[in-house]
Amino acid sequence: MPQSSLYQEEHHPSPLQYTWREFKNNHIAVTGLFCFVFFIIITIFCPLLAPFDPNMQQIGDLLIPPSWYPNGGISHLFGTDALGRDLLSRIIYGCRMTFGISLWLVVVAMLLGVGLGALAGMSRGFRSSFLNHTLDSIQAIPTLLIAIIIIAILGPGLVNSMWAIVLALIPQFVHQTRDFIRHELSKEYIMAAKLDGASKTHIFVHSILPNMGEMLVVQATLALSVSILDISALGFLKLGAQAPSSELGAMLLEGIEVAYIAPWTIALPGGALFMMIISINLVGDGLRSALRNRLLH
Amino acid sequence: MNTLKIHNQNTRAKTTLIVLACTLLCACDALLQTKTDPNGIVYCSEGSPASFNPQLDTSGTTVDASSHQIYDRLLDFDPVTGDIVPALATSWLVSDDGKTYTFQLRQDVAFHETEAFTPTRFFNADDVLFSIDRWRLVDHPFHDISGGRYPYTDSLKLGDLITRVERINGYRVEITLNKPESSFLANLATDFSVILSAEYADKLTSWNQKELIDFKPIGTGPYQLASFRQDRFIRYTKHPNYWRQIELADKLIFDITPSSSLRLAKLLTDECDAIALPAHSELEVIRQQEDLVLDEKPGLNVGFWAFNTSKPPFNNPQVRRALGMAIDKNALIEAIYFNSAIPARNIVPPTSWAFQADVKPLSYNPIAAIKLLREEGIPKDFSMTVWAMPVQRAYNPNATKMAELIQAYLQDVGIQVNIISYEWATFRERLTEGLHDSVLIGWSADNGDPDNFYRPLLSCAAIKSGTNRAMWCSDEYDLLINKALQYTDISERTYFYGKANELLAEQLPLIPIAHASRYQAHRKELVGLVINPFGGVRFGGVKKR
Amino acid sequence: MAYVLMRYTNLVFVTFFILSLLSFILVYLFPGQAVENLTGLRLNELTELQQSELIYAVDDNIFIQYWHYMGELFAGNWGVSFSSGLPLYEDVGDYLPASIELSAYALFLSFFIGLPLGFLAALRHHKLTDYNLLSVSLLGYSIPVFWLALIMILVFSLQLGWFPLSGRISLLFEIPSITGFILIDILLSESIDKQAAFISAFRHLILPTLSIAVVTTTLILRITRRSVIETLNSEFILAAYARGLTHRQVLMRHGIRNALIPILPLLAMQFPTLLTNAMIVESIFSWPGIGNWLIQAIYQQDYPAIRAGMLAVSVLVVIFTMSIDLTIRLTDPRRRRAERAAI
Repeated sequence: MPQSSLYQEEHHPSPLQYTWREFKNNHIAVTGLFCFVFFIIITIFCPLLAPFDPNMQQIGDLLIPPSWYPNGGISHLFGTDALGRDLLSRIIYGCRMTFGISLWLVVVAMLLGVGLGALAGMSRGFRSSFLNHTLDSIQAIPTLLIAIIIIAILGPGLVNSMWAIVLALIPQFVHQTRDFIRHELSKEYIMAAKLDGASKTHIFVHSILPNMGEMLVVQATLALSVSILDISALGFLKLGAQAPSSELGAMLLEGIEVAYIAPWTIALPGGALFMMIISINLVGDGLRSALRNRLLH
Repeated sequence: MNTLKIHNQNTRAKTTLIVLACTLLCACDALLQTKTDPNGIVYCSEGSPASFNPQLDTSGTTVDASSHQIYDRLLDFDPVTGDIVPALATSWLVSDDGKTYTFQLRQDVAFHETEAFTPTRFFNADDVLFSIDRWRLVDHPFHDISGGRYPYTDSLKLGDLITRVERINGYRVEITLNKPESSFLANLATDFSVILSAEYADKLTSWNQKELIDFKPIGTGPYQLASFRQDRFIRYTKHPNYWRQIELADKLIFDITPSSSLRLAKLLTDECDAIALPAHSELEVIRQQEDLVLDEKPGLNVGFWAFNTSKPPFNNPQVRRALGMAIDKNALIEAIYFNSAIPARNIVPPTSWAFQADVKPLSYNPIAAIKLLREEGIPKDFSMTVWAMPVQRAYNPNATKMAELIQAYLQDVGIQVNIISYEWATFRERLTEGLHDSVLIGWSADNGDPDNFYRPLLSCAAIKSGTNRAMWCSDEYDLLINKALQYTDISERTYFYGKANELLAEQLPLIPIAHASRYQAHRKELVGLVINPFGGVRFGGVKKR
Repeated sequence: MAYVLMRYTNLVFVTFFILSLLSFILVYLFPGQAVENLTGLRLNELTELQQSELIYAVDDNIFIQYWHYMGELFAGNWGVSFSSGLPLYEDVGDYLPASIELSAYALFLSFFIGLPLGFLAALRHHKLTDYNLLSVSLLGYSIPVFWLALIMILVFSLQLGWFPLSGRISLLFEIPSITGFILIDILLSESIDKQAAFISAFRHLILPTLSIAVVTTTLILRITRRSVIETLNSEFILAAYARGLTHRQVLMRHGIRNALIPILPLLAMQFPTLLTNAMIVESIFSWPGIGNWLIQAIYQQDYPAIRAGMLAVSVLVVIFTMSIDLTIRLTDPRRRRAERAAI
């Protein structure tokens, strides 16, 4: 039964509902969202979905083409790689690895970055300006380069690459947070809170932080796509995840060896990576234009 | 009015676009059609040579880069029949007691001329003396240059075998051995017995730059070294006064490409005219391409899994037997060699006359393996290392993959395996130090004589020279193979090698896995390139149509 | 203006100081002996090591060590590589220009394609062309650059056979390296068939340049589009229309300049990203650049080479960033005094 009311009410949706409505109208963004959710499901339910063990080598079944080739079969939907491992399972586990790790890295970077940014933004004096200068200079350097430099010091490996990417992602968050806080501090509601006698921490936690939510989500989607690209790039360069791990970039590297006789070993993992990044970018794009346009309608 | 103007603008924009597109297409066409590369042959090789003197190294990479390109030998193997044919020596005589060999040398053979060095004389006996005495005499001024190790000649103890090398006259040399050895001529025809320039050595001594003899080499071969960039390329130019009247390209380039799939790709796109060591998974692709040619010849090689018999528990032959029963050789061969190899029973391949078909090979029996391991006191979850060589060779195209498969097999019998690998030069260094538990490696023969398998792989002297990877020393074995050399009659030699085969089948210091066929791939336009079953690649006489 | 310049030279020195300090600290951060990391010589090469100990004064105070280190750096003595034994200064000097060349051409290409398309998309805002271009650009910057390079090789090199897939030029040509930029070196060289060499180098350049340019082109497209849309919505444009100017005149006189100038720094900042992508792609195309070299050094744990490579790349990126910043500050009238100079 639709909600019936005797009185004429003015229904004011919250900003979140405005954003969602705007987002919903953008069909492409919604498709992206579905893909995104699909990848999250894969990440969580991975062991249930994968037909085979990704590390199980079946020596009799080397380099079987995927099912849509004339000599492919159904038992291995995506075919097998040079060591006889089922490609579909490897890609599912690989998605979990790449996507899951990237999500985790973004969350950590966000927490650390927001914390540091808050410190930078709320404080004044030498400490903040030093931090500002350093951050601005690091901004221009691409995250992958920073990650490579950190790996050069720590040595190749999956854990080291995770540290490297977290450290490389933090400056973005710090910069955005600091800018945002600076911007907000000059606004009147903060002035009102100060006049009420709020301490700095109180202002931050109760006034600024709730307003930061949207900016953080947008930043997080950007950081997520960067993180996925970087993790797979490091895996591809053999500086991150090493073989026989089923990380997508490492799979691409292994696939090069047989790429000319078995192109599916690079087309399919790369395609999965591509889909992942497209879905995140679609969601991010949709979110950004929804936030921009939500009040226009 | 306005619509007309816009219409005009639109058509103008469109016409400019069409004109641009056309010019672009024409330019593209010109770009794609033009093939005006200068005259030369590009060969994709698999690694950088350690030096340019094959005397110092047994690595196939060094041999390919230097032996048949820069140098000549006294004798050569005919690549088709395997017979020993004259090269820098035109004829030879053997004394009745089999201990003295007299060689008549070829006249009018010119050495290379570079910016730094101009030869003033032709090749003569002094060069032969220098080339042999360098590794033979420990106190020779050039002996210790570049390390002082000559793996091939040291493992065969040729230095001790030869008592005297004498210059009879400018074109005649006499070599005396301390006992008759029937494989001596074959040793002079291998890739490692190259002839260097004594005059160049003297010049270098006077400039105090002796080590350049191995890095800026001078020889009599068809090509001379122009420049070398580590891990990138080697540039050769043709030797204009080469003594053999054969076709030579103006330039020869070795494009160093460690990845075999990249070598194949470059062959397909015509960036390389010939490639080294195509991987077995790629052979089918090459066969199917019309503009590529795949040469195949049965190989004189063996790929094996050697145990470090100097380390317990691998000094126990029963343990070695158990490990051998735990793996399925046939499955390994199918996975790694893609059926272009045959399972090995002895260390020599069936094409060698010392091969023994009635030696019973180890069968795949993991249950018996577990039983034997427990009997010998190997606990469950015993951990060992398998060293996998990082480069491809015909006898083992993918040691890392084989190690992974062996890891899986050994896990089934309760043994944990760690796979270890290093960069090739580091790898071999550490193997010589005996740091391994077991290693996946192999051996390609340098000549058709079975002594070339038995001695360098498992004799006691070969431990020191680094080719005996099993670190195995058995006096009985050494006795047998020494006896086999004393007789020139094949049936007598076969008897001794047969005994040696039986000993090896019982002791199993190494498990022979496969004998691979040798392959070489090149483009159709390249003619004259044949597989040299006894040595490195030769580019003399190869031309591009 | 002089004030700004002075400020900048100050900043430049401070940044160089920090970078060199960092690379010096790396000597101690890397595992192994400090002297080995500094010079690249192993402990078993004793006599040379003793000499370097004197030069680097390892036993002395750390500040004196740093002073000596800086001296050696400027003298061009960067040590030798662990794996090849060759002097690092020459290696970096050979490989760095190759990467810069690739990135520079890719940058030009991206500008050449991205800017006009961005304008087009903005002018046809919310129409079909705009949506098409937006979708294509989304695909473009979502694609992982190494995958794109591999697909391009599979299609254009192997399937169609149009372009080669490795190296800068066919090895049969021997081009002496004068500037390090191969197209220029060909023109400057003497003895060879220039046209053939040029075509060969050009064919080798196409695929790597395209694969890194795709990502940047789409980014430039988006940035330009957004800037043009915002500019076209601003009031002075309305005023121009009100004055009676045609579309063409508005665009030419007011639109382009005002849309481009604020984003020029953003556009130029694509160069470091291009350089990084170039470093990834170099290993796929066997392009002899600094990325390939640095990554090989990291595998082989060649610490002196890593240190030198990182110093070179970071100095390059920082110089570039700061010069762009400087140029903008000098030329853009809106920014003259409003913001502080960023280091």
